[in-house]
Amino acid sequence: MLTRRDLMTGGSLTGLLLLSGCGLQPTGGPTVASGPIGTDIELEGAIRFQTWNLRSAYLEYFEGLIDEFVAAHPGASVDWVDQPADGYADNLQVDASNLDLPDVMNLAPDLAWPLAQAGLLLDIADARPEVLDGYADGAIEDYSDPQAGTTFAYPWYLNTGPIFYNRALFEEAGLDPDDPPTTWDELFDLADAMGDAVDGRFYMIGQLPAIADFGMYGVQVLDDDQERFIFNDERAVRMVERYRQAYERKGLLPDSTVLTYTGGGERFQSGQVALSTGSAYDVANFKENAPDLYANLGITETLTDTGHANMFSQGIAVSSRTEHPEVAIAFAEFLTSQEKQMEFAHIVDVFPSTEGALEDPYFTEDDGSDTSEVRVVAAGQLDSARNYTPVVWTEEMRVELQRQVGDAVVGRITAQEALDASVAQANRLAGVSE
Amino acid sequence: MALTHPHTSRKGSRHTVALSDGESATRPELVLRYLLLLVVIVISIGPFLWQLATSLKGIGEDLYSMPPSFWPEEFSLAAYSQVTEVIPVWSYIGNSVIVALCNVTLSVVGCAMAGYAMARLQFRGKVIAIGLFAATLLIPQESSMIALTQLVNAMGLGNTLVAVFLPTMMSAISVLLMWNAFLALPKEVDEAAIVDGASVWQRFLRLGLPSVKGTLAVVALLAFMGSWNDFLWPLLILSDPDKYTLTVGLNYLQGTFADNPRVVAAGTIIAVAPLVALFLALQRIFFRGVAEGGVKE
Repeated sequence: MLTRRDLMTGGSLTGLLLLSGCGLQPTGGPTVASGPIGTDIELEGAIRFQTWNLRSAYLEYFEGLIDEFVAAHPGASVDWVDQPADGYADNLQVDASNLDLPDVMNLAPDLAWPLAQAGLLLDIADARPEVLDGYADGAIEDYSDPQAGTTFAYPWYLNTGPIFYNRALFEEAGLDPDDPPTTWDELFDLADAMGDAVDGRFYMIGQLPAIADFGMYGVQVLDDDQERFIFNDERAVRMVERYRQAYERKGLLPDSTVLTYTGGGERFQSGQVALSTGSAYDVANFKENAPDLYANLGITETLTDTGHANMFSQGIAVSSRTEHPEVAIAFAEFLTSQEKQMEFAHIVDVFPSTEGALEDPYFTEDDGSDTSEVRVVAAGQLDSARNYTPVVWTEEMRVELQRQVGDAVVGRITAQEALDASVAQANRLAGVSE
Repeated sequence: MALTHPHTSRKGSRHTVALSDGESATRPELVLRYLLLLVVIVISIGPFLWQLATSLKGIGEDLYSMPPSFWPEEFSLAAYSQVTEVIPVWSYIGNSVIVALCNVTLSVVGCAMAGYAMARLQFRGKVIAIGLFAATLLIPQESSMIALTQLVNAMGLGNTLVAVFLPTMMSAISVLLMWNAFLALPKEVDEAAIVDGASVWQRFLRLGLPSVKGTLAVVALLAFMGSWNDFLWPLLILSDPDKYTLTVGLNYLQGTFADNPRVVAAGTIIAVAPLVALFLALQRIFFRGVAEGGVKE
């Protein structure tokens, strides 16, 4: 049950790419002069700070944070706006085309990328070169353009998920609940075995692979220049073929091959699917909403054949047109500071992006509760985790991949055809010529 | 409502039952009809009932049990009170009501006038005007949204409730519905009124409007539903969360990390309840209106 926040962020009807490609071009460039910006002066001015659907649950945290900032800088003020969950990308696009982006805003990598390409985000690497050392390298990569040498946002919180599985269903299918899969191929073997044993009463796998899953299976998604998609090699074909085999032997939930399918999480909670990815905060959710599952919950490390788990991140960007760059930078750095990130991680069960923060005992010692078990497992894999979803990966590409893989799994086309078509379409959408 | 069926059964046979519309049907036929209706009811309102049941279930109850359970083991209104804690429901409902009422009023008045003009008045470019209205049906609303926000902002109406209903009040489909309804009136009645010296306004108000009440109800209901359910446009044009309409505000109930499905369900029920009430209140006029625009015998 990674929420939509983790899986895919934008989902905008028009696609933020419009900004960088054809369509509306913002007519104003950055107004903040390039070069280092110091924050040691007396801070004065009002800034607008935008978060993404965090007010309802974390009102106190953010109010406290803003009060503390303003108390330390009496000349500054922060106007906090929280946007609802849906339509966030559309909202940003409207603000961007009206040249009215908030001074400080919460963005995910795929939302930040087109805004950065349009020159609307402040280059942190240029303005605050010394500050970036304080954040973990993997997290900074998510918000950097290696070709241009820019970094367009501060990393904020990170998330990664362990694997949850249903021990009762493992036993019922004659599988050892103490021996969950550790690699993708083991998972496929177990899926086939479960299908053979229970003949479709329940299934091992509840969803088709996303682009990050290909990455964790060891497929090279982008070429060495990070420009062209190449996820149609032998390894990728083998993955799709294993999914197809699982489908044929009833190890894969048949509904998952439908294009718009998003119900894998519910099916796991209703006991129709035996294994699912998830997050530390899901445990409390299971306890409240799916007590049967909670009683039989198994937790194990994420499946990866590369030694690296997948990771999601959120960042804090500063507008390149802010009137008060010093205040905006100071606030963004305060929000993403180690202390404030640790507080947030404790409340939400996500992980901080500052260098060394994960060595805190909170993330390394299991106090025996199931939430801390998940937290420690997740934090352990975060150390070497990567974001396997390329920042240029858009909603349209995701849909196309799911459509093609779905067709291949049910046997309408071959795995190679499906991947070739997805790659061609992804390259076209990314504007990479043949 | 009376049951109707395309093929009527032979009258006077031994096992027939008289129906309220004067038709009759054999018993097996009747059983089949009711079975089909039941299937449709289960399909169409089953998910809604599940939502209602979910909103009333207590913490710790299995929400995703198979087969689904429609009866909460322990009734709890906690989800509803939590909705009011998370968002200012009443002020959002107030905003939604203002927007919906303005939209309904303007839409009924505007679409009726436009429809009447196209059906009964002679003017240059009438065919083009009708064609333009029909053509706008083909343009997806989303494609013009960014341009529309810039236009509305330039008019100085950005972040106001007026901006929420202004662009949506004259929907092309409603204008065409009214046009069709006015067309169905016999021309002769109009001509007789002209001979008697009635002005355009008198003909519109005294002859036209009274005979299209049903379609007016349909237009009003469409306008109400449209503005009550609209999400993207109010979200884009309103920047101040205090001015959000209910549909936008309820989106805050979706958890960023962990959802509480009960609270989301309670929010849905709160949003849908007024629509159900309105539909039940208007259903007689509504169904007359649906038939009115169609084929006349």
